[in-house]
Amino acid sequence: MIFDCNAYLGNFFSRQIRNNTAPELLAVMDENEIDRAVVGSLSAIMYRNCQMGNEELAAEIADYRDRLVPFAVINPAYADWEYDLDWCVNEMGIRGVRAYPQYHSYGVLDPCCKELVQACGERKLPVTFFGRQEDYRQSHQKVDAPDLALNDLAQLCSEFPQVNFMILEAIGHGASRFVTEADTLPKNSYIEFSRGGVDELVSALGVERVIFGTGIPMKYPGPAFVCMELLEASDEVKQQIFGENLAKLLEV
Amino acid sequence: MLIDVHAHCRGPIDGADDPWGQDRELVERMKAGGIDIAVVSNLSTPRPSTVEGFQKCNRDMLAALKEFRGFYWGWAYVNPGYALEAIADIDRCLEADEDCIGVKLYNEYHICDPAARQVLGHCEKHDIPILLHAGHSHVNRAAQPNISDAGHIVKASREFPEAKIICGHIGGGGDWEWEIKTLRDASPATAADISGSVTDEGLVEYSIRHIGADRLFFATDNQVHTGVGKFRSAKMSDEDREKIASKNFLRYIGRDA
Repeated sequence: MIFDCNAYLGNFFSRQIRNNTAPELLAVMDENEIDRAVVGSLSAIMYRNCQMGNEELAAEIADYRDRLVPFAVINPAYADWEYDLDWCVNEMGIRGVRAYPQYHSYGVLDPCCKELVQACGERKLPVTFFGRQEDYRQSHQKVDAPDLALNDLAQLCSEFPQVNFMILEAIGHGASRFVTEADTLPKNSYIEFSRGGVDELVSALGVERVIFGTGIPMKYPGPAFVCMELLEASDEVKQQIFGENLAKLLEV
Repeated sequence: MLIDVHAHCRGPIDGADDPWGQDRELVERMKAGGIDIAVVSNLSTPRPSTVEGFQKCNRDMLAALKEFRGFYWGWAYVNPGYALEAIADIDRCLEADEDCIGVKLYNEYHICDPAARQVLGHCEKHDIPILLHAGHSHVNRAAQPNISDAGHIVKASREFPEAKIICGHIGGGGDWEWEIKTLRDASPATAADISGSVTDEGLVEYSIRHIGADRLFFATDNQVHTGVGKFRSAKMSDEDREKIASKNFLRYIGRDA
């Protein structure tokens, strides 16, 4: 089973995204033999009110819930986000949350971010952060969203050992606390490797907390698959990374 | 056949148990990714490079061609600001090893800077291809103030229309749509490689649409997963895939594999 933790629907503000409807995404998944995928709304990232993007996502995937697992984009610096979070839990059946401090103008260690993490923990939802949603060097002329500091994310994870975190689209794991302090940090971070470094993650974190993600349809799926091809590991280990770890984390 | 036209060798490491260990690891990873030949330069010197710096890089590059004969081909790296010494080292490398097939320029000068003219003219006159470190970033421009982008290539190609300038790593970080659109105005002798860490869906297809499949080369810039992965995923005809994989480059440099 291949379970992709890093997929999207909707529009991104800085460039055209193709195959961004549910049927089109499923076709991409079929072509790449991806069975299931966690999806979040790209449109929600830059809507002032993210919730409208979440509601669009809910409608879009209504007929495809067997393969598309929704995560909500929540901005804890915006009005009444806890109401939105509960709506997404109760009406949409989300299995996790995606947070974008770099686009929503708060810091990873700011109080509002910690409130979001606390709220997700109370609802048993993993929280996702993206090291980058796109390469900083191709930023939109009006948007300044540098990569998140992995050590800040590691600090946040250490302060909420009861909450699970998913770290996607990150570069530079090897020099971060996630790897250098892997033995002492709580075992609550799950890291995706489409930008490389799967072997060092497996070595440092153990296979159980390494998760497969492609970034479709924003990115080509090929690089994540090549990472898996180049990883020297047994088929059993690869099956864990390809999907079993994520399924266990999300209890789906 | 898959030729990686944009790669970097480390060269022998003095005092290491296995002086070629880093290169051996890279070669194994590339072969595992299906790459048959990698065209490498050695940039392991502080930049902007001194004459002694690029000469040392090129000695190491030539040694690497011997060590990994048949898998590595080479680019001779020079700082074009030292025009006479640069041209001498280019000629030395090309004469020393037939698998050294061209020149690598980095970010010491924009490619259209008058300081680069002599090297550019020499390469045009002798039909020597140039792989150029390039990118068009909207941020952090101070980090590489003299990095060339497609606009600089267009300007240089107007002065040297037969110069074979390859715009390095279209996916190397920066506004790739800007690069691709701008490169449409460069001379037909120019080309581009698809390497770089950016794996945005559509990057290769957009390059084919606007630059043309005949002027694109496969490459990784040493990131095997991004280079091979994006090339595999990109939608194109079988004919275009063969061209980009190796046929275009072999034609460009005028040799068989």
